[in-house]
Amino acid sequence: MHKPQKTVSLLLTVLLVGAALSGCSGSGDKNDGEASQGASPSASAKPSESASASPEASGSASPSGLDTSKHVELQFYMLGDAPKDLGIIQAEINKMAESELNATVKFNYTSWTDWDQKYKLLLSSGQPIDLIFTADWTQYQAYAKKGAFLPLDELLPKASPKLQAFVPQDMWDAVKIDGKIYTVPATFKEYVTNGFVYREDLREKYNLPVPKDIASFEAYLDGIKKNEPDMQPLSMNSDVKTNLMDVFREINDDTVGGPLPYGIGIKYNKPTEVYSYWGSDEMKADLTVIQRWQQKGFFAKNVLNVKDTMQAPIVSGKAAAMLGDNPNRFNDTQLKMQSSHPDWKLGYYPFPLTRGFATPVHPIHNGFAIPKSSKNPERALAFYEKMVTDKRYNQLTQYGIEGKNYTVKDGYYKMIGDSTSNGFGREGMNGWAWRNPEFMLFDKSFDGVKEIFAELDKIQKPDIFTGFAEDYTPYQAERAALEQVEKQYFYPLYAGLVKNVDEGMKTAMDKAKQAGLEKVQEGYKKQWLEYTAANGIQ
Amino acid sequence: MRTRRGFVHELSKNRLMFLMLLPVIVFFLINSYLPMVGIYYAFTRFDFNTSLFDSEFVGFENFKFLWKSGILTKLTLNTLGYNLAFIVLGNALAIAAAILLSELKLKWFKKLTQSILFLPYFISFVILSVIVYNLFNYESGFLNTLLKGLNMEPIDVYNTPWMWIPLIILFYLWKNLGYSMVIYLAAITGISDEYYEAAKIDGANIFQRVWHITVPMLKTTFVVLLLFALGSIMKGQFDLFYQLIGNNGVLYNTTDILDTYVYRSLKVTFDIGMATSAGVYQSVFGFVLVMTVNYIIRKINEDYALF
Repeated sequence: MHKPQKTVSLLLTVLLVGAALSGCSGSGDKNDGEASQGASPSASAKPSESASASPEASGSASPSGLDTSKHVELQFYMLGDAPKDLGIIQAEINKMAESELNATVKFNYTSWTDWDQKYKLLLSSGQPIDLIFTADWTQYQAYAKKGAFLPLDELLPKASPKLQAFVPQDMWDAVKIDGKIYTVPATFKEYVTNGFVYREDLREKYNLPVPKDIASFEAYLDGIKKNEPDMQPLSMNSDVKTNLMDVFREINDDTVGGPLPYGIGIKYNKPTEVYSYWGSDEMKADLTVIQRWQQKGFFAKNVLNVKDTMQAPIVSGKAAAMLGDNPNRFNDTQLKMQSSHPDWKLGYYPFPLTRGFATPVHPIHNGFAIPKSSKNPERALAFYEKMVTDKRYNQLTQYGIEGKNYTVKDGYYKMIGDSTSNGFGREGMNGWAWRNPEFMLFDKSFDGVKEIFAELDKIQKPDIFTGFAEDYTPYQAERAALEQVEKQYFYPLYAGLVKNVDEGMKTAMDKAKQAGLEKVQEGYKKQWLEYTAANGIQ
Repeated sequence: MRTRRGFVHELSKNRLMFLMLLPVIVFFLINSYLPMVGIYYAFTRFDFNTSLFDSEFVGFENFKFLWKSGILTKLTLNTLGYNLAFIVLGNALAIAAAILLSELKLKWFKKLTQSILFLPYFISFVILSVIVYNLFNYESGFLNTLLKGLNMEPIDVYNTPWMWIPLIILFYLWKNLGYSMVIYLAAITGISDEYYEAAKIDGANIFQRVWHITVPMLKTTFVVLLLFALGSIMKGQFDLFYQLIGNNGVLYNTTDILDTYVYRSLKVTFDIGMATSAGVYQSVFGFVLVMTVNYIIRKINEDYALF
């Protein structure tokens, strides 16, 4: 009588423990998928190798030597939110792609919420993806170095010779990581340097100064606070590092580029001098200004819990200014704002005019790569070639359907309806990477941006920062721990919430050192100096 | 040898029963035991180019980041503390509410109360975070608008760490009370009326009946629920903490739990190896805890133990 009970209870134990173990690890779920798919990246890498080794074997259908005999569905991943009419555009694209490449494509969007987390998961979970957006701000360099993408050098001439010829050689060279091409760069020349964004109509109304540097910006915000007490002078959200600190340093501290990680400081004019910005007097001065802004009520006291985008409060008129945004996005914000409030005006003052030089966007800034997990790298590249170099594909995915989403008048793009009624705005698919200067249509208001660009062209200097590919494997554990310290101890400082800046900085530095700050900074410095030496940057 | 033969004997004697059990066993094997192979990730360096078992073995290096910042103890204590509060207060309140409800005579009122208590369970944490932000934000929150209306000093809740200990517990209870209450309510319905009638004849008043009949009868349900809850004690309530606190580093000292810490650390350095190592740490800790508590309970009263 006793034995069966014991067996059953033993079985039950095993089951329960199993449930507990599998339930316990929240991150375990991710690994589950990984365990079953872990083998696929290496398996899928093989077809491309074998194919590139014997190009003659396959090429039968199309002149470029691309094998299109088998129908494939391509998985295309872009960041941000999908436009409302994406389904219609996708159907149109697929009609063409079906007959021309024997392929269909599925456009996937991550939404901006936690996009970085999703992006990392997409790349490491082994899920088959054929095309994915890359940029310096999505850590293209680090991922390429770690081997997340397929090298394109041998695929390009075979699958997309037109695309290879279309992108200038110096751009192909610029995106190389350890001598190999991992992404297809965008060729449109633009500036994504920041600039002050502010309500020009309010500035005129109250006769406030034009923000040109931190001091005049503060004077502007003071004026807004005084005259429009119900308005929040500065738009800000919980990501105070990216939206406040990094931008502040760009205009005030002559940073080489950015964002610079681990509290490192490097100045554009002295690129071989690496110092610790964290703990420096420079930082103290910056933080004191930010703390003053916080105390004056320029942005919410609970800013660390604000989840709005930076632009939304400007568009709706809740906030008056942004510390920094790039010319293109400024233009977008202005368009959106004026579509519902035609009498409001938005002003822009580029940081480069104050700093004395402008760095045009680095080719790494916008691109598309083929992840290791892709099952159809050649077809993906052929499809991407169409997106860039074929006017029909390109304009359809950039502007929507002519006559339905937009019209062209005097060579200018004109949206039909407004941003809420139109299901596909200009560059509605966030198609920054496949912009083709020859096919680009601009809104009339973009003339302003072009003027800014022309102005910046006069003072352009090369971007010496973005080509640097950091390899953080040697200090990975410290890096993760440091990230934690930054969130807990530096973010409140960045948000101006710490009453005593000196003490706050001291605590934060102690914690950072405990987490291994010195090792991380040393490691970064060493790699940076190797990079500058190798590229003759002085 | 004897137990082995016993097992085979048992198998053949109750083969129909075991056959019926088979789907469950297979389910757990596939969903809970097979994925455990992934634990090996905790000891390797993740590489995009190779499969799991070809990756470089690095021993305990992936675990390093957990104690690198020196707050592992605090995190563990926070996680344990909050969960203990959730379990103890949650069950006590659920029992109390269940008893009160079961004593109610008005049927429609009983149903209505039960539904109202249950509703918060369906509210997602994302919505909860919006509600909480609008209650407590400094400039325009409900609380401060009220205080200003009464000519009192506004309170900066989002920059005051200690306030979040009761707040988080409160919101957890508010959200989960209805659910656990229903379980106890079901247990109470299962108690035979004869006990109560007998007690009534013996002259026991309502408090005596509750204390001497209902409460002891709920003990088994409580112990089972307790052991289940302990199994996931290291898991925390990620959604709750992540949504309510988010990026607010000011509050981390009192509100950071293992799950949120790991999530944040790896948001930047996304590394399968380190993520797994954190999961392994949580699991092992939870496992030890369940075994210990179950052992203690078995010592006290064998019938109540899970196994």
